[in-house]
Amino acid sequence: MWVITAATLALLVLLPLGWLVYASVGGARGATFAYYVTVFADPRLQNALWNTAVLAFWSGLGALALGAPMAWLAARTDLPARRTITSLVLASFVTPPFLGAFAWVMLAGPNAGYLNKLYRGLTGAQDPLVNIFTMPGLVFVVALYTFPYVYIMIANTLALIASDLEEAAALLGAGRFRVALTITLPLALPAILSGFILAVLQALALFGSPAILGLPAGFHTVTTQLWALLQYPPKTEMAAAFSVPLLVATALLLYLQKKALGRRGYAAVGGKNAQRRTIALGWWRYPALLGCLAVLACAVFCPYAILAKAAFARAWAQPLTWDNFTLANWPFTFLATSTQAAIVNTLELGILTACVGAGLSALLAYVTTRKLVAGHQLLGFLAVAPVVIPGVVLAVALFIAYTRPPLVLYGTLWILFVAYLTKEMPVGYSQSDSTFRGIHPELEEAGRILGAGRLRVLGEITAPLARSGIIAAWCFVFIGVIRELSASIILFTPNTKVISVVIFDLKEEGEFGAIAVLGLFMLAMTFAVVVLVQTLLGRDVLGARPSGGTAG
Amino acid sequence: MLGVTIRGLTKRYGDVAAVHNLDLRVKPGELIALLGPSGCGKTTTLRLVAGFLRPEAGEIWVGDRCLSKASMVIPPERRRMAMIFQSYALWPHMTVFQNVAYGLRFNGVARSDRERRVRDMLRIVRLEGYGSRYPGELSGGQQQRVAVARALVVEPEILLLDEPLSNLDANLREEMRFEIRRLHETFGITTLYVTHDQAEAMVISDRVAVLQAGRIVQIGTASEIFESPRTRFVAEFVGKTNLIDAVADGPRSVIRGRLRFEVASDDLAPGTSVAVSIRPHRIEMLRPGASSADDTGVDTLPGNTFLGVVQRATYLGDQVEYQVEIEESSVVLRVAGSAPACARAGERVTLRVAPDACIALADRPDPPPVAS
Repeated sequence: MWVITAATLALLVLLPLGWLVYASVGGARGATFAYYVTVFADPRLQNALWNTAVLAFWSGLGALALGAPMAWLAARTDLPARRTITSLVLASFVTPPFLGAFAWVMLAGPNAGYLNKLYRGLTGAQDPLVNIFTMPGLVFVVALYTFPYVYIMIANTLALIASDLEEAAALLGAGRFRVALTITLPLALPAILSGFILAVLQALALFGSPAILGLPAGFHTVTTQLWALLQYPPKTEMAAAFSVPLLVATALLLYLQKKALGRRGYAAVGGKNAQRRTIALGWWRYPALLGCLAVLACAVFCPYAILAKAAFARAWAQPLTWDNFTLANWPFTFLATSTQAAIVNTLELGILTACVGAGLSALLAYVTTRKLVAGHQLLGFLAVAPVVIPGVVLAVALFIAYTRPPLVLYGTLWILFVAYLTKEMPVGYSQSDSTFRGIHPELEEAGRILGAGRLRVLGEITAPLARSGIIAAWCFVFIGVIRELSASIILFTPNTKVISVVIFDLKEEGEFGAIAVLGLFMLAMTFAVVVLVQTLLGRDVLGARPSGGTAG
Repeated sequence: MLGVTIRGLTKRYGDVAAVHNLDLRVKPGELIALLGPSGCGKTTTLRLVAGFLRPEAGEIWVGDRCLSKASMVIPPERRRMAMIFQSYALWPHMTVFQNVAYGLRFNGVARSDRERRVRDMLRIVRLEGYGSRYPGELSGGQQQRVAVARALVVEPEILLLDEPLSNLDANLREEMRFEIRRLHETFGITTLYVTHDQAEAMVISDRVAVLQAGRIVQIGTASEIFESPRTRFVAEFVGKTNLIDAVADGPRSVIRGRLRFEVASDDLAPGTSVAVSIRPHRIEMLRPGASSADDTGVDTLPGNTFLGVVQRATYLGDQVEYQVEIEESSVVLRVAGSAPACARAGERVTLRVAPDACIALADRPDPPPVAS
């Protein structure tokens, strides 16, 4: 049983990566570095690399600038409506970034963008106020949907730093500013660094936002370039060679993040009983609140509003008057055969991947936390290893691995299933792992000594206690799957489209109404599942640290 | 009623032996406390007896059944034992009644009998009427009693307890000590009780086994352990004591510098180094004038009489602890006296210790500490 599980994991992770590297050095045609040379000598590809670096760095910095102050305000001060703000950050966290990018096209496109029209109407100017189809525009939108990673890291850490550490310094004569600078900041520094790296990782792996905002502006990033290389006729060897730097960069950044967090232990000094007093902001409460709301307006309110408007408008760029109001977008969207097929595919894949993923990760986590087999550490490592593989790179690898015998999965839903399962494994495993860690082994031992065998204890004691945690793992995997774009966009075929791919295609046709309808549908499903998880676990989903998975 | 016999038991974690060649005989119906500091191997021993761990060497027998040896371990569910855990390990998704009734399903108790036996047991642990509550709705002491009831209701052959009182506050802990002793006297189950608290071990057990570095260094009744410790470690770990390094100069006496002690021994080889253990409450302290000794040559007077100066007197409520430096030596003795204090810091006093209160311990180095 364990052998099969281990073999499955190894197959999921190692096989595609093996093919990727094999193909990049020439594969069957003999070892060569020619593809690497070609790839890195091509000025267009050099440009894409440079653009990715610029995008990732500035988005990370932007996410830090947005997330860090908000985290501090929400965790340590008497800012009004802190719980609401945390919920809204969660909303931004679960919003698929490509949907946010679409919304910002409608908000800040140079010609028809709502904000630009507003600006022209107010000032009579001819030129647009902002153009979202630029690198700064892209950085802005990416930062809006990656700052929650920074927020979560920092807020969770600040919540662990006991105020007595700060008060001890204050008693020794340090002023408020000095305390923040010499005590709080150094204690939170690992989390700040780690949050920054997580945000950079997200930006590196993104496909949707750069494709929607960068391509019209005429620039590629590594992810969009990889996608372009695999358009017909696919240049797989070039794509493989071009994937490797992204893979290496991700692995390196994750290693740095682990190192930064490794020294985090001391931040928790003081334990959970330590009191945390809130800092009174005084007169500054309202400007601070306004700042937070402004960020959330950009990330949540305005995009959702424009999506809602587009969903009910004949022409999304016109004001929503009675003449312009229509319900036709809804049947138009849902009655289209291709859309219906995509919804069915998405739900099938979502449910199947969530069931297999939650089951497999629960099994793995049980085995590793209870140390049931030799080599259990290796199993745990394999389960989280896919974190280092960006979705696009995973797709390139699977494309190479499963378009040839013995397993020709390309063209079926199974290749998407394999991609999703691999990609979501770390999330499911982390959740299951913490679930089983939370169940004291003595609870199982108490059953054994009273006469129940191992299987009976598993069924009557462990399983009921782990149930809600495993269902939460199911939900996390499900959410991850239904919003996935970056791997799907490479692996789909006309018969195996999913919702995110349909949304992306609708952009080509300019069907913003349908995009909005499908986007809202996707958001509604996501939020329903999030609420389910919150009820199950009785806590904020944000309380669980993201494992550093890459979003599509 | 069956006893437990442990022979040559060894359990290693990596290179370190958590339990090393341990021998122990628990008589039928006896309660033995395994006492020692953390990492001494006491919990590992208990878990070996429960069948959660496989020994590298040695055997565990209950009656004439061999339950564990290196080649074979009977699983916990077939050992007819019960265990009370440090965390209580009550199942949070079951009611008190369901928790207590769980084990009865596996030892052939008829369904109709189960309910009666659970109710009887809940009454014995004074939790009548709590059957439908969930563990999360009970106080720590009540949870503890549910754990006791769950273990006793199955009428186990052997009962194992792993620091069951360490999560309770001090008052409750003291109360529960007597409660567990009372239950033991009622049911008479052969019991192994792991604790690091010497007072707990003394109150609860018939015999105490002191463990150090994976071995039993001394086993005996509470008074045997306290009055006649066999090693320096036992003397220090069980109760407060003064330890004085000295050299034997006769079969019954030792010297340290100018000091000479008559000790409770009659076979010391002159020249061997020993440590002398003197309990603080066994030292008699007299103020000058109240003493019959004169001021000359006190260190050679019979009955171990010394002159000293009080360095510090600490009021502890029911008693006073003095630190007295013996004159013209570097030896400082802790002396326990009854309150109120009869001497202040700086005062000269006379100390007297009966030879049978001076225990000479062979001064061999303690075995190296072993991580658990």
